[in-house]
Amino acid sequence: MFQDDPFLMPRNAANSRLYALSKESGRNAAKYIIKNFPQYFDKTFAEPNIPCLMPEILTPQTEGMSEEALRERIHLRMVKESVDMFDQLLQAGTPVSLETTNSLLDLLCFYGDGEPTPEKEQEEKEDLEEPGVNASEQKAPKRQFQRGSQSSGPRWRENNHAERIFKIMPEKNAYSYCTMIRGMVKHGAYSKAYDMYIDLVNERHKADVHTFNALIRAVPYLKERFVERWELTKDFLTHMAQQKVQPTLLTFNSVLKSLRRCGGVGRTMSLFVLKEMEALDIEPSLASYEHLLSVYYKGVDSQSSDIISEVLNEVENRSFTAQDPDDANFFTTAMQVCCDLKDIKLAYQLNKALEKGDNWKFLDVDRSNGYWSKFFSLLCMMEQIEVVLKWYKEMSSSLFYPTPKNILDLLQALDAANQLEMIPSVWEDFQIHIQLAFAKCAEEIKAVHEPAGPGQVPLEWTGSALGHVVVLFSRTGRTQDAWNMMENFQKINRIPTKALESIKWDGDSSDSDSDSSDSDRSCALP
Amino acid sequence: MWGLAARLLRAHGRARGTARSKQELFSTSSVLSKDKDKSTASKDSPPEGAAKRQEDGAETPKQQLLDIIGNMKVEVSYRKKLQQLKASEKKKQAINKLEGPDSEGSVPQGITEDTQRDKPLNPELVKAASAVASSLPRNKKQTESELLAQLRRHEETTDKQKKGGTINIRNVLSEMTVKRQSPAQWGARISSRISLQLDEDGQRIRPERSSAQSVDSRRSLKVGKRLNIFTKPSTEPEHALKTVSSPTIWDLEFAKEVAAVTAQPPRNGFEEMIQWTKEGILWEFPIDNEIGMEDDAEFHEHIFLEKHLEGFPKEGPIRHFMELVICGLSKNPYLSVKQKVEHIEWFQKYFEEKKELLQEI
Repeated sequence: MFQDDPFLMPRNAANSRLYALSKESGRNAAKYIIKNFPQYFDKTFAEPNIPCLMPEILTPQTEGMSEEALRERIHLRMVKESVDMFDQLLQAGTPVSLETTNSLLDLLCFYGDGEPTPEKEQEEKEDLEEPGVNASEQKAPKRQFQRGSQSSGPRWRENNHAERIFKIMPEKNAYSYCTMIRGMVKHGAYSKAYDMYIDLVNERHKADVHTFNALIRAVPYLKERFVERWELTKDFLTHMAQQKVQPTLLTFNSVLKSLRRCGGVGRTMSLFVLKEMEALDIEPSLASYEHLLSVYYKGVDSQSSDIISEVLNEVENRSFTAQDPDDANFFTTAMQVCCDLKDIKLAYQLNKALEKGDNWKFLDVDRSNGYWSKFFSLLCMMEQIEVVLKWYKEMSSSLFYPTPKNILDLLQALDAANQLEMIPSVWEDFQIHIQLAFAKCAEEIKAVHEPAGPGQVPLEWTGSALGHVVVLFSRTGRTQDAWNMMENFQKINRIPTKALESIKWDGDSSDSDSDSSDSDRSCALP
Repeated sequence: MWGLAARLLRAHGRARGTARSKQELFSTSSVLSKDKDKSTASKDSPPEGAAKRQEDGAETPKQQLLDIIGNMKVEVSYRKKLQQLKASEKKKQAINKLEGPDSEGSVPQGITEDTQRDKPLNPELVKAASAVASSLPRNKKQTESELLAQLRRHEETTDKQKKGGTINIRNVLSEMTVKRQSPAQWGARISSRISLQLDEDGQRIRPERSSAQSVDSRRSLKVGKRLNIFTKPSTEPEHALKTVSSPTIWDLEFAKEVAAVTAQPPRNGFEEMIQWTKEGILWEFPIDNEIGMEDDAEFHEHIFLEKHLEGFPKEGPIRHFMELVICGLSKNPYLSVKQKVEHIEWFQKYFEEKKELLQEI
C-alpha cells in the first residue's frame, strides 16, 4: 500500500490515513483530467490497448427525441436529461413503453431525485474528498451514524419526479409499484412505502422478494412497540409465503436487522429465524451472525457467552464470501462482545476465524484498526505481561496503529506487573502521545499561573518553570504558544538559554524529537 | 494522571522520609486504604506474639514505604479501586499474620478471601465501604450493603477455619497456587454482582432485569423451534424462466456494494501487480508477442507466397515484377494472409486483362 521503506512507513493511524488519502486523491486527479479533456488522449499507442485507462464515452450518441434516446440516457444514468426527455416525449404525444418507463422509475427511485456522483470503489475515499450533498451509493455504508438506519443522503421529497411520473403513468404493473416501494424505503419515506404496498395488494399484484426485503427493513420505523414490530414483520413474511415468493438470505438478514430494534422480543425470535433459515437450507452469512450478536449483547452486563461461543464455533470453520453489505461489521461487533465479556479465549478463537481463507478481507483499514485496538486492550487487561509484550511487538505498525488508549493500557499493564523498566524498549512509539499529554499538562500549569478570578493572586513564574513549559510546547509543534510564553520571560526578568534552542530545533522539524535539554538557568537582569 | 505516574516513578528513587507529603497528593481511596492498613496493622499486632511485632518493627521504613506505594496505584475506574481496597487490606493482614517470609515484600498476589480475622467489622472498613458506595453512580444503598455483606462473609469463613487451628490455614494456603490473574477475575466477579456501568467503552445502556438474563443463558443455536412460515421449494422450474430480463440498476448497484465489502486495497507490491495485471495495465509474463493480435494464419503462410504465383508465366518481366511484389508482401506485417492473396489475385486479373494489349505489342 505504501512505500515499503522503514523511514517512509506511517507510524500512526492519522498518518496512514493521510497517506492513503493522498494516494487516492492523486489517482482521482488524473482520472478527472482524462475525463474532462478527452481530446488530448485520443492516441492509443499502447499495444494492446488498455481500456481502463482510456477516457470513457459518456455523452449520448443518439440525438433527437425518441424512445431510443431516452433509453440511452437512462443507461448512462443522466437523471435530469432523462426526465426532461420523458416529459418532452409525452408532450409530443409519443407513447413511451411500459418497460422504458419502468427503467426510468428505477433510475429515479435509486437516486432519489439527486444526481449520481462519480463512483469511487476504493475504501480510502473518506469524507475529505467529496463532501457533496448527493453522496454516492458506496459512501452510504461508511456514513452510517445509526446502526440499521437507511442513510443514503438525499431524502425523499414530496411529489418529486418519481411520484409525479408514477401518477401520470397510464398503466402500471407490479414492477412499478415495487420499484417505488424500494426507492421510498431507501430514502426514508417509510410510511409512504407502506401505503404503496397496500395499493399494490389492492391491485392484486405480486411483490417480488426485494420489495419484501425493503419493507421488512422499514418495519422499525413504522411501529413503535416491540410486539407490534414483530407482528408486522410476521405479516410480511406470511404474505410472502402466501404469494409463493421464496425468501432469500437477504430476507432473513432484513428480519434480523429489524429484530435488533425489538428488545426482548427480538432475542426470542432471532433464534427462531435462524432455525427457519436452517430448515430452508439457507446458510447464514456473517451479517446474520452480526445481527444476532447485536440483539443478544446490547449493553446488558454479565451476559452469558453461550450465544457467542456457538456463533464462533460455526464461523471459525467456514471461509465466507460477501453476500450482504452488513457482513463487514461482524468482526468488529464480535470483538466488542469479547471485550465486554472479558473473555480472552473467545478473542483468540475469533482471531483464528479471521485467519481462515478469505475472511481477512472483511476488515478494511479503519475497522481493522478498531478491531486490533480492542483486542490489544483486552490483552492488556487479561493476560500476563510477557504475552502482552509479545503481541505488541508483532502487532504494532504491521497490523494496527496503537491508539493513545492502547498505550495507556499497556503502561498500566507494565505498571501492574512492576515491569516499568521495559518502557524504554517501547518508548519510541509512545513519544508523540506522551509529548501531547505533557503539553496539555503544561497548558494547565500555565492556567494556574495566570490570574484566574478577581480575588485570586496568580503564582509567580520561575525561570526554570517557564523554560520547561516553553520546551514542552515546542516539542509538540505548538510554536505559537511557545513564543507567547517566551514573552513572559521579559516580565519576570529572566533569560532563557536552552529554551530558545529547542524552539528553533522543533520549528524546523515538527515530528522528530529534539535533543535539547530542558533546564535553563535564571538570572536577574541588572 | 500522567503527573501522578511521573511522581510515582520519582518516588521510587527518592528518600522515604516524605511519606506524609506524598500521601496528600494521591486519591482519596488510596488514602483510605492506607489509613485502614495502618489501623488494621496496629490492631492486629497486639494479638500476635511479640516476636512477630519485632519482625514488623524490623521491617525497615523502606519496606513500609514500598508497601504504601505498592498500595497506592492510581486507577481511574471504580472497579479497580474496589479491588485494590480489598486486595491491599487482605495482603497487609496476610503479611502480618503468617510466619511465611515469602509473602513479605511481594506485590498483592491472589490471596483468597479467607484471611480476615476481625470479629466485628472494622469501623474503618465500614467507613471505607460507605465512601466507596457513595462515590459509585447508582444504587448506593445496595452497593454498601453488598460490600458489607461480602466483608462479613469473609469474616465468617475465616473464623470457621481459624477454629480449626492455624495449621489448617497454612495447609490450605500452601496447597493453593498463586494466580496473578485472580485480582482481575475477582474484580470482575464483584463488578458483575454490583453491575457497574462502565464508561470506558462508551456504548452501554441501562441493564435490563436479571430475569431476562437467566432465561437467555439457556438459549442455544442448536435447539429451538422455527417460525414455520415457509416451506422448502420442492422443484424450481419457474426460477429458470424468471430472471431473464437484464439486471436492473438495483441489481447492479447491489452487486457493486457487495463486491466492495471484500475489495481491500493491495497489501503489498505483489498484490498491486496482480491487480494491475488483471486490469490490463501490466503485461502478463512470460511476454507473449502476439497478445491482442487475432491472426489465424501461421508465419509461413505470410512469408512463403510463391505458391500463389502459379498463374503467372515462369519467366519474363511479369514474373520478375510479381516476385518483387511477393517480397514486399512477405515483409508486410499489417495485412492478413487473405488480403495478401487478394493483392496477388488482383494483379493476376489485371495482367489477364492486359494480356491482349501486351500480345498486340
